[in-house]
Amino acid sequence: MNEWREKKPQEWRRYVNNEVKVTAHEKQECQGWVFTVDPVSASVVLVNFQDTGRTCVTVVMGHAVEAVEILKEGGPEMEERLSSLFMPTGHHGLTK
Amino acid sequence: GLPELREEQQARSLLRQRYLRSLLAMRDAQVRFRMYERVHVEARFGASDIDVLNFQVSDLQTPIGVQKEALLRCPDMISYSLEL
Repeated sequence: MNEWREKKPQEWRRYVNNEVKVTAHEKQECQGWVFTVDPVSASVVLVNFQDTGRTCVTVVMGHAVEAVEILKEGGPEMEERLSSLFMPTGHHGLTK
Repeated sequence: GLPELREEQQARSLLRQRYLRSLLAMRDAQVRFRMYERVHVEARFGASDIDVLNFQVSDLQTPIGVQKEALLRCPDMISYSLEL
């Protein structure tokens, strides 16, 4: 069991909307903006906005995470951008 | 104490809901899976089981051919990625 999976939800919550570098199994590195950390599996959902207008989503499985480093704070603009990506109607709950 | 427990539950529900949203957004998307032992496969995402232990995918492209329907075990994955 790795250290990342042992964190509390409040601790994972602090990574949301920030840019991070995730080091995974065999020193593979992934960078991106954190949309969420699944509290069950500890998997990290990273978003990268590309110049082409497309968006790349990478999910690093919690069991493969070795380290997560915060590179940059996101701020309200990034928070809005990330939310609207998966919640286009602006609802913040699963129900109406 | 109780306030801390409430804060933990709020964080848990926000994070989980966002994760489930990301799974919903993957429906029918072409997803690249990075597995252990340096294996890369690509497939069209269908669904996940409730515990997110398995992904059901279609047209799984593997080094040894194409599998029409398949289940991928999440513990075998290092990461997966897709474009929206």
